Amino acid sequence: MDKSITPKNPPLIFMEMVYKMRIKDVMTTPPVTVTRRQTIRDAKNIMKEKQITGMPVAENNRLFGVISMDDIIQALELNQLDDPVEKHMVTNVVVLEQDMPVSMGISYFGKYNFRRFPVLDHNNILVGIITSRDINTSLLQELLKEINKLEDNSELQPDQMSLTKKYNTNKYDFEHAGRAANDIKKFMKSKHRNPKNIRRVAVAAYELEMNQVVHSDGGTIRFILTSEKVEIIADDVGPGIDNLEEALVEGFSTANEWIRSLGFGAGMGLVNVQRVADEFDIKSSKENGTTVHAVINLF
Amino acid sequence: MRINDIQKKIDAEVIFKATDADDININNVTVSDLMSDVLVVDEPELLIVSSLATDQVLRTADIVCASCVVIVNEKNLNQQMIERAEEFDITLLRTPHTTFKTCAKLNELMSE
Repeated sequence: MDKSITPKNPPLIFMEMVYKMRIKDVMTTPPVTVTRRQTIRDAKNIMKEKQITGMPVAENNRLFGVISMDDIIQALELNQLDDPVEKHMVTNVVVLEQDMPVSMGISYFGKYNFRRFPVLDHNNILVGIITSRDINTSLLQELLKEINKLEDNSELQPDQMSLTKKYNTNKYDFEHAGRAANDIKKFMKSKHRNPKNIRRVAVAAYELEMNQVVHSDGGTIRFILTSEKVEIIADDVGPGIDNLEEALVEGFSTANEWIRSLGFGAGMGLVNVQRVADEFDIKSSKENGTTVHAVINLF
Repeated sequence: MRINDIQKKIDAEVIFKATDADDININNVTVSDLMSDVLVVDEPELLIVSSLATDQVLRTADIVCASCVVIVNEKNLNQQMIERAEEFDITLLRTPHTTFKTCAKLNELMSE
């Protein structure tokens, strides 16, 4: 199997990303280094402590070589742990320049059999070190950002696509509560959905969000949007509802005075969700918390 | 009712003025400090009167597409409320009057 990072026909977004991002954006800086005169034993201890498998040999930011775990194992086999590093380091080092695009780094990892490359600036001063892990992590983060942007801009096509959005809630976090509802409203509005349906989705979302903030130890609100319906799944981590029948009675609430002073606990939450939803289902247990599933048809 | 007239009638301070504030004609008023009660209201050109001075009033107002929020009793409004009013582009007014007096004055204005 081809294990190179770059696919055969990479999408344009990916190509733009690897050319736009620079080595200096993804490298680890400053690098952990060792001097020529330190012993192999010192190098081994530094690597152990920093949990790395290799490092540049440098003095005053000037690069002399690279010492890796392989070199240390060889020295160990020869019982030469007290030798200076310079005796075992690799000196024909391949380096990257900090202003090169990340694409260059990717091709270097494919071309050479090194697991890390020292990074120099234009004055040949050692400024960092780069591993394929640095590249992978940064690329993944950038890709996630791009995917998020794409999701926000994507048009929903009948039966072709569904879109999921997920929000977290925390106990008594009234400052951020309601964000999911306001966001989903804004999103559906941007897709020119029927205002009545937008409102139904937003009301259900808001009440479910508030229920989690007021009554649960935190949870998630997920939206699955298709061209035909919006599903809202509210999942919390507990502690579960003692009496489900009571909880579904208009005006029933276990909220205390403090919660009521904040404008919640009218005992209308689940009732309001039921009122606006075409399908409504609630499950609750002490072990698994509460899950509410509400569907709003868009026709 | 025009928002300008409402502001004068209830001696309100304009905390934030929405971009469409001058074009809106308020036809419906709801009064509550419990947000679930507000979420039941499905009326256009809505004004919400509340003594609850938290950003949840603005979040709720956004969900029911209200045009204006009036906070009574000259309550202190925190920065988040103002930010939410700006974010959702909803006019936010603050009046020194009580809920009862505010409603009585609004009723007068509506009957004119």
